[in-house]
Amino acid sequence: MKEFLIFLPLTILFLTIKSALFPNLPMPDLPLIIVFYMAYSKASVEGALMGFVLGYLDDAFNGGIIGSSSFALVFIFLAVHLTSKMMQFTTPGTRAIGAGIAALVKGALTYAVLRFTNIDVYFLGHVILQAIITGVFAPAIITLLMRLTSFTSPRRFKGNIN
Amino acid sequence: MRSERNNISGFFKKHQLIIISIFLALFSLHLALTDKKEVARGYVLKEILSITVTPVQRFALGAQNIVKGVWDGYINLVWVNKENESLNKTILALREENNRLKEDVNLNSRLREILEFKEAMPFKTVAAGIVSYNMERWTRVVTLDKGKDAGIGKDMAVIGPTGVIGKVLDANSHTSRVLLITDLRSNIDILVQRSRIKGVIEGNGTSGLVLKYIRQVDDVKIGDQVLTSGLAGIFPKGLIVGEVSNIEKGTDNFFKHIEVRPSADMQKIEEVLVVTDTGFFEE
Repeated sequence: MKEFLIFLPLTILFLTIKSALFPNLPMPDLPLIIVFYMAYSKASVEGALMGFVLGYLDDAFNGGIIGSSSFALVFIFLAVHLTSKMMQFTTPGTRAIGAGIAALVKGALTYAVLRFTNIDVYFLGHVILQAIITGVFAPAIITLLMRLTSFTSPRRFKGNIN
Repeated sequence: MRSERNNISGFFKKHQLIIISIFLALFSLHLALTDKKEVARGYVLKEILSITVTPVQRFALGAQNIVKGVWDGYINLVWVNKENESLNKTILALREENNRLKEDVNLNSRLREILEFKEAMPFKTVAAGIVSYNMERWTRVVTLDKGKDAGIGKDMAVIGPTGVIGKVLDANSHTSRVLLITDLRSNIDILVQRSRIKGVIEGNGTSGLVLKYIRQVDDVKIGDQVLTSGLAGIFPKGLIVGEVSNIEKGTDNFFKHIEVRPSADMQKIEEVLVVTDTGFFEE
């Protein structure tokens, strides 16, 4: 619940600033990185719900088809969660590659949904660029997210048992 | 029955994350695939966002415009100022270069003119440039950039393509001073081209000449060309000195008072020819 309360306003702020100030600037996919981080670190129902809500927000902000990003993010959450049982995303390299692949998957799923709804889309180049940027920035952003969550966590000291 | 229920509950608990995720994914897919129907998905959320987020976006845009305005209006002007200074320097350099090139063109033109004049002259001459003017109240003297080393000597005639300039007042090794014909001390033997009347022309100390010793009966008219007579042996015969511009009755009732406009503009001359041949007496 704590992560939800932190990441939701963070995502809203990010999407607000992005849509207002940098609509044409390729930026890392923060909702995807949050979902990716949640999926391998603290997989829970809360994470799946967060994927749905963040995807919903993403669609609402970007004016896309409501549900397409939600579907992609929830799918990615599940996929990363299952993958994390086999491999650890503990190093910056694996996080970068994992987030990049997740961005590609998100693009492919969004593409598939849009094609299924008979909407012509031509954004393969954009998807690849987005995946690269997301992958490059993912390790740093994940570190920040970890710091943010640990900063808001109550601190426990060894001597403070009682 | 209870065991079966426990099994189902256990299975659900064990795989609740996967089951909920699949459910949410399918629900999302349903939303996406039915989004084109008349019931607009996310209408309420969009309305909420438009109410809550739009002011934030406006604020962000306003802040961006302010920052952009400050940047464009002030901070960026520092670079514009530097660029402006640089461009001004470039303009000044180009103007200077342009002026220099114009000067070169003018110099080339003048040198070509004086060269042609020099080649047309049947006597030896030395081309020289004027390096200084001495136009005091009554003196009219210029300094040439060549002197004795170039063969220039005292009392040599100095001429230009447009007419007589003066004579060498004194010569040093590398420079020489020329007494212009407009100087009060200058006098040259001349003749009026049309009527062949002879006289002496003197400088009036300003920019004009005075033709002296022309009698009242002599035939001189305004517009007559005045040439060197070659009598004094300094100036070759036939060089143009000026043109009669005004004729008045003299105060002594014997000679006319005649004003002559020099053919060479003393204010504009920059290069001259010094006639190094001497002894031009009328044959």
